[in-house]
Amino acid sequence: MSGLEILSVAPTTTVQDRGRSGFLRYGVTGGGAMDVFALAEGQALLGNDADAAALEFAAFGGRFRAKGGFWVATSGAEMALAVNGAAMGWRRSFRLEDGDIVDVGAAMRGVYGYLHVTGGLQTEVVLGSRATHLRAGFGHVPSAGDLLAVGKADREASAWVLPEPAYFQQSTLRLMWGPQSEYFTKAERDRFAAANFIIRPERDRMGIRVQPDCGPVHADAGLTIASDAINLGDIQITGDGTPAILLADRGPSGGYPRIATLATADIPALAQMQVGAKFRLEVVTREQAVALLAAFRERIRALPGQMAPALRDPRDMGDLLSYNLIGGVMRGDEHDED
Amino acid sequence: MNRGSRLPGPPVLKVSGDMGILIEFGATYDPVINNAVTAFDAALNADLPLGVIETVPSFRSVLVRFDPGILAFERLHRLMADLAASRDWYRAPPAASRRVWDLPVVYGGEHGPDLAEVGDLMGLGADAVAKAHAGAVLRVAMLGFSPGLAYLGQLPEAWDFPRRTTIAPRVPAGAILVAVRQSVLPGTDIPTGWRWIGQTPFRSFDVNAAQPFRLTPGDEVRFHAIDAAGFARFDNAAFLKGQGL
Repeated sequence: MSGLEILSVAPTTTVQDRGRSGFLRYGVTGGGAMDVFALAEGQALLGNDADAAALEFAAFGGRFRAKGGFWVATSGAEMALAVNGAAMGWRRSFRLEDGDIVDVGAAMRGVYGYLHVTGGLQTEVVLGSRATHLRAGFGHVPSAGDLLAVGKADREASAWVLPEPAYFQQSTLRLMWGPQSEYFTKAERDRFAAANFIIRPERDRMGIRVQPDCGPVHADAGLTIASDAINLGDIQITGDGTPAILLADRGPSGGYPRIATLATADIPALAQMQVGAKFRLEVVTREQAVALLAAFRERIRALPGQMAPALRDPRDMGDLLSYNLIGGVMRGDEHDED
Repeated sequence: MNRGSRLPGPPVLKVSGDMGILIEFGATYDPVINNAVTAFDAALNADLPLGVIETVPSFRSVLVRFDPGILAFERLHRLMADLAASRDWYRAPPAASRRVWDLPVVYGGEHGPDLAEVGDLMGLGADAVAKAHAGAVLRVAMLGFSPGLAYLGQLPEAWDFPRRTTIAPRVPAGAILVAVRQSVLPGTDIPTGWRWIGQTPFRSFDVNAAQPFRLTPGDEVRFHAIDAAGFARFDNAAFLKGQGL
């Protein structure tokens, strides 16, 4: 069996695909990749189905060995990468041969990086998805010693490279007022919307706490409302007045007042913001958020046209790389087009 | 029950993100509001337009998640508004498809370590708490928080005490948890601030079963006390067969 053997891996690593839908009514949250654009990049680079599953790294990677030969791709947060000790650039597809060692280091830009394989990881499917959901005990939990089976390729892959998407530079997040915004006074909402925000250290797949420079935000009413369904991107205000933006592994329902909802198209940009990153908000209408979503999907559809051939196998460039290291440049992709 | 002019409503439709429309039947947990939610959700699901991803009923509202690239917001909004106006949902009869569950529970001991504490809160002895809980006819008001976790309502006023201010790191699937006039039945092991008075051996959630989720909003639930030996003997498959499942 061809597969990806895990020699070591950060404990925050999960298997992710597009997640579960249809089970929120049973208390099962959607899960799925924190950055669905990055997930789509991997599918494009390998020619995989949209449902294919990948490894999702949360800022830290691991060490892997190929059993048999197959194609892999990297996407999302740019992480230090080496194949058999030779540095390689990110956001590209390349072939592994039996015994090749892949080292994925720490994220250099962004937070969530992805390692995709031919045909997707063949881990167990629970309620329609391979997404690991740690609290519920759903899906595979990657750990040292695993041999993760890879899928079948529909067609022969090749070596491609994608440019870094613009959302890694994005510092404004768009939001819509929602069903519970009325529990906050107009003045409080205006104060919130005009604030500068910083990503706090309390962040994981459930959500991200953010610190506004306007001080705590308080609901005027609605503190006794009964729980109901929570959307991806809902901004919840807990007792101490700190906003939390709820993401893929959020609780499916909750009773804290929610001041607004992030535009779906801006979720990847938020997910990739590192602790300490700053952002501002822009209030948009539903129509504008839907237009943003349509444009986001169009960028996903356009990915194959964005791919450039990676002309040289970076593993043949040992000399160039040692030159780079001496020069203090820790990237391996500058010479691809030589 | 004649609630006369105290009837809540009418239901209100609200935009909920760029992929959702929410219909609120009220703001609080109230059996009349909750029954309206269950009935509206069932009617909506009987004829779902293409592009609806899922509907999520809660204590007091239904969130309809849809793909705006497939289904126009205006069309879904009109459909929901028309359905909302088509009848008085607050007077909807309970769903004909609802099940009546009589679930065995061991109260107290290692299966319910907070039973004595709840007795103190209610001014009752532990046996009286167990008897009162087992005597209540409850209704699945919603599933949420974690896979298959059922919120059951509504217990009498005497059960209107708060949750703990601290979180127990783990209670088992099947734990009988109480506070704020509700009883909660988790389908998986969970951390919780609710007070743990008993445990049922019935598996309300089994991820490997053809039907993983056994409890549905609107179902009626009552409990009867068993002893620890009965808990150990319990045969889930035989129990389901006895229910005609």
